[in-house]
Amino acid sequence: MKDDYAMAHLSNAEVARYGRQLILEDFAVKGQLALKNASVLIVGCGGLGCPTASYLSAAGVGILGLVDYDCVEINNLHRQVLHDEEKVGMNKALSIAASLKKQVLNSLIETRTHEILLNKDNAMGVISTYDIVVDCSDNVPTRYLLNDACVLLNKPLVSGSALRYDGQLTVYHSDGGPCYRCIFPKPPPPYTVANCSDGGVLGMVPGIIGTLQALEVVKLLTKTGDTLRGKLMIFDGASSSFRKIKLRERREDCSVCGRCPTITELQDYELLCGASANDKDADVDLLDEFDRVEVKEYKRIVDVSSPHILLDVRPKAEVSICVIPGSINLPFNSLTRQVCDESYVGQISERCVECNSSPDQPLPVFVVCRRGNDSQIVVETLKKTLEQLPVVVKDLKGGLHAWASDVDPEFPVY
Amino acid sequence: MGCEVRVVFFAAAKELVGCREASLSVPSRLSFSELKDILLEKYEALKILESNFILAKNQEYLDFEGDALVVFKSGDELAVIPPISGG
Ligand SMILES: [Zn+2]
Repeated sequence: MKDDYAMAHLSNAEVARYGRQLILEDFAVKGQLALKNASVLIVGCGGLGCPTASYLSAAGVGILGLVDYDCVEINNLHRQVLHDEEKVGMNKALSIAASLKKQVLNSLIETRTHEILLNKDNAMGVISTYDIVVDCSDNVPTRYLLNDACVLLNKPLVSGSALRYDGQLTVYHSDGGPCYRCIFPKPPPPYTVANCSDGGVLGMVPGIIGTLQALEVVKLLTKTGDTLRGKLMIFDGASSSFRKIKLRERREDCSVCGRCPTITELQDYELLCGASANDKDADVDLLDEFDRVEVKEYKRIVDVSSPHILLDVRPKAEVSICVIPGSINLPFNSLTRQVCDESYVGQISERCVECNSSPDQPLPVFVVCRRGNDSQIVVETLKKTLEQLPVVVKDLKGGLHAWASDVDPEFPVY
Repeated sequence: MGCEVRVVFFAAAKELVGCREASLSVPSRLSFSELKDILLEKYEALKILESNFILAKNQEYLDFEGDALVVFKSGDELAVIPPISGG
């Protein structure tokens, strides 16, 4: 337990470590003491959480809370730079805490890990013990949950997000400013929300946004500079441009921070958003078994050279990673939920003629994607667009992930 | 009187429309809801995000409440910004 004297003064070790920020006119000893006496909760220990935790720890924030239920995976390492190969499988909050300790990024501060998925029952208890919350999460339900909890507990929320080459950053519910619901009252339809696993992300983009989140936290705690309260910072990594959009003031009729709020306690946010509070893809189960084929069964069809067509509906960038030989690429746009090219009907029609297929002996058309979700949507579409042709359209169950696990262990998995 | 504004699409709006920037003819004075109608008519793909993006004129948020008047002059920038949630 730090005593009162220690909390009101800097030790020689602290002066030595923080000297370069201590001599900043606005910051000075009072700024350092503000950090030392502060507790900050970082929700999400991924691409945003890693740089946020690094810099806040290095800067000397007294207590750093780290929330994550998830474990480190190898595909996290290109952007989540506090995790490493040896920590694959380890809880991410524990992994960051261990990295901060091991690198002796800062031996003067304390980290607290919360290896949980925040929900309406546990969020208030965790958040209430911290001064500021940093939203480094990767999903919509958690963003609404943190917003409501921060409004109810009257804590500022430093919100960052990143996808592909794009980043966004703002400070919600700070000093009378708007909250997330004031700006985005309704959650988006779940299928329009891309996650890093499907949409991709360049590691530096969350790196930049997470670093800026740490900067906002420091300004809030030390009351220096202007924060992004009421302003949305937009980063476009592709053109290296920042834009600052002036937002509206707090909405008088906001359902949580308005004059007469209808939300006075936390809700079920997965229900509100129609999505789970993680960035994993839910398995789609659209089709009857009749419309699907196991990858092992498809392998037998290939082995006996039985005539068929294999349509690979992944985007071009993914096809360049790996492909089942002989497939035709017909990219499906998961956002517009349409295939991008209509010329396939002619191509398939030609193959039907070549193979002498007939309504009695239809040509099998198999559809494959990465995990077997998009392919089911495409099967439903093709059953209509190819109705006039002597074909039978089937989904390759489980997609290329199943192909890799059940048929070809050498096949790359991403 | 109409004018040409530069529309800039961000995040999912950029994916849906298929480009980052475009030019749009709008009346120089119109209500927020009229502006949104013109935008969604020209860029139908945005309809699935209809209540999930903000519009900003020259980097300033346009309020969707009531029938607030929006005044444009040629060369103004209109940004279409849906939230990002990844991290
Ligand atoms: Zn609000």
